Amino acid sequence: MSIQEYNGGSVVAMVGKDCVAIACDLRLGNQATGIAMNFEKVFPVNDTLYYGLPGLATDVYTLREQLRFRVNMYRMKEEREITPETFTHLLSSTLYEKRFGPYFLEPVIAGIAPPTAANPNPQPYVSTLDSIGCITTPKDFAVAGTATDKLYGAAEGLWEPDLEPEDLFETISQTLLNAVDRDALSGWGAIVHVITKDKVITRTLRSRMD
Amino acid sequence: MDTLVAQLAPSRRGDEGSSSTAEWANNGYGNLDASGAVAGMDVPGVPDPLAFLSMHTDSMSTNPQAKIKLAHGTTTLAFRFKGGIIVAVDSRATAGSYIASGTVKKVIEINPYLLGTMAGGAADCQYWETYLGMQCRLHELRNKERISVAAASKILSNLVYQYKGMGLSMGTMICGWDKTGPALFYVDSDGQRLKGDLFSVGSGSTFAYGVLDQGYKWDLSDEEAQELGRRSIVAAGHRDAYSGNTVNLFHVRENGWEFIKNYDLSELWYEYEEKKKADLAAASAAAAGGVPIDVE
Amino acid sequence: MSAPGGGGAYSFSLTTFSPSGKLVQIEHALAAVAGGTTSLGIKATNGIVLATEKKDTSALLDTTMIEKVATICPNIGFVYSGMGPDFRVLVAKARKIAQAYWKVYGEYPPTKVLVQEVAAVMQKATQSGGVRPYGISLLIAGWDAHRGQSLYQVDPSGSYWAWKASAIGKNMVNGKTFLEKRYNDDLSLEDAIHTALLTLKEGFEGQMTAETIEIGIVTVPTAEQQIAKSGERPPPTFRKLTEQEVRDYLSL
Repeated sequence: MSIQEYNGGSVVAMVGKDCVAIACDLRLGNQATGIAMNFEKVFPVNDTLYYGLPGLATDVYTLREQLRFRVNMYRMKEEREITPETFTHLLSSTLYEKRFGPYFLEPVIAGIAPPTAANPNPQPYVSTLDSIGCITTPKDFAVAGTATDKLYGAAEGLWEPDLEPEDLFETISQTLLNAVDRDALSGWGAIVHVITKDKVITRTLRSRMD
Repeated sequence: MDTLVAQLAPSRRGDEGSSSTAEWANNGYGNLDASGAVAGMDVPGVPDPLAFLSMHTDSMSTNPQAKIKLAHGTTTLAFRFKGGIIVAVDSRATAGSYIASGTVKKVIEINPYLLGTMAGGAADCQYWETYLGMQCRLHELRNKERISVAAASKILSNLVYQYKGMGLSMGTMICGWDKTGPALFYVDSDGQRLKGDLFSVGSGSTFAYGVLDQGYKWDLSDEEAQELGRRSIVAAGHRDAYSGNTVNLFHVRENGWEFIKNYDLSELWYEYEEKKKADLAAASAAAAGGVPIDVE
Repeated sequence: MSAPGGGGAYSFSLTTFSPSGKLVQIEHALAAVAGGTTSLGIKATNGIVLATEKKDTSALLDTTMIEKVATICPNIGFVYSGMGPDFRVLVAKARKIAQAYWKVYGEYPPTKVLVQEVAAVMQKATQSGGVRPYGISLLIAGWDAHRGQSLYQVDPSGSYWAWKASAIGKNMVNGKTFLEKRYNDDLSLEDAIHTALLTLKEGFEGQMTAETIEIGIVTVPTAEQQIAKSGERPPPTFRKLTEQEVRDYLSL
């Protein structure tokens, strides 16, 4: 079994109309054995930017702290919040620093930049990286983790353009729930964040517990 | 081993059926001979069939890169008690981390008095336990009485021992009621055959044993015993990634087995959680000085 | 034992304060700046102009090869007064800083961030062993999405300020007085360029021509230009005026 699948877990992010959503399961496993059902893999950077780190749990902690450090330094130096685009690049270069001994993670990013004078109408943004920092910025959705294949299947079938926040919540929830029910290493609860320009809606889902 | 291979392998392509096996096969009885025994089994037509099999199947645990993966994850259990035998199993089938099915029947109904459980290779269990059912019926016809569980399980263990080393993968419990009362045997593809009161087999067995051991008594009532079996499979299905989906519960009594019910494992888990919470609340309320009285 | 020069014993060591609380080497560096050719910058409502005088000491000098206004990255430019060689070293460092920032964040640094980094480089030269302070003051002009156009001055000590308009070098006192009179908050870039030329003309030695001055401008990108297009670089917001453009401004 690969080290990326050692702890199990999955993340999915989707673009909606003036909103984005990002969700993850809550399982932490030790190979086949479930250890915890409250292991969140999605973290906030600020009010309008979240990222998920499915993969090796020890690396989740390490990279999360590394990013917390770098984003805080950025925030103080630049006296502004980091945008999803810039955060993606920061994460990419952080991952590539470990090109020959990578973090066993596949990050997913979702957010909307706060409007500025220069960019008064920022667009919803979703991106994903491989474990050494190669960026992809899909227009619809991004998936990662042990349920990747199943998430692709569910998302391809359920996603449609310009979903309003409530519909996007329903779509991403059903995508995640149906995918993890076909994955032995994901599940054990789920949590969804829907990010709009002015608020984030966070809900935990009732999912299968086997 | 090569002699076994030579013995099992039917005539090679080209030299026409010198035995009667080919005729039987043409009559629609597959590889069974006139006496109902397995006459032969195709083996790979290569110089070293065993090396070939171990290279391409992972059932011998020697080659994790093997292309042909067999289902492994399972939780099955059976225990004897004063009211007979409880048999409980999950219903998940996995291929790698993919959950291929959530509705697998892992209890094989050999005949109205015998049950076999399935762990390891699904096809191996299904095929040989069905075959066992056939042999049991033949025994019944020949001897005018039902076969004992001990004898039935021994047919199976002797049978799989013949194929030892060829990659059969089975971990099964043969459960039934005979002249001696409730009887339970564990048989696996290594050739091991054990008599016992309580077994659990499969990747989730350790979790099931945990619940089973703390709740098991010979004097369990039928309801208590069924609940123990159910609870054990739920615990295993919850913790073990490769077990889950549903619980199939059987009860073997003097007059044969009875299928109790199929339960959604996750729903049962939520019920147990609710009960745990309620019990905890009641306990802390009691500790704080009695349960508050409802006032209209 | 007393050292030669006005600083007494304190002029020996860069990192030793005089009793009056001064680091005399930094004072000397400022003197080097004050002896350099005049440079100035003016912030307008829709851009910034940087201008400087290019002194030709000999008719034989090829002035086209002198570069006193330098592009650091597509959105930031420098001009200096003081020692040319020190400027080139700082430009090289600043360009590296900008590229390093781009490598990490996928965009060029905001003006303030680059100013802070360059100021840190200059400050280090006032506190480290075996080095001397940079003999230049910088005017840094740039545009970024966060703060728009901004103009900074950085001195040899490493201190920096944001200005609406500033002058450095030989004529800085007169230049600043002139700018104070001419500056107002609704200056357009065109107006600012003309004001820059007029300011430079005050106390200009010799003939002011397209060959003897250099101009760099910051322009504000349109909303359409700011939308990132995949596979395309955003248009630069800092650029140097060509000799022809300078000539046109001078003839107006």
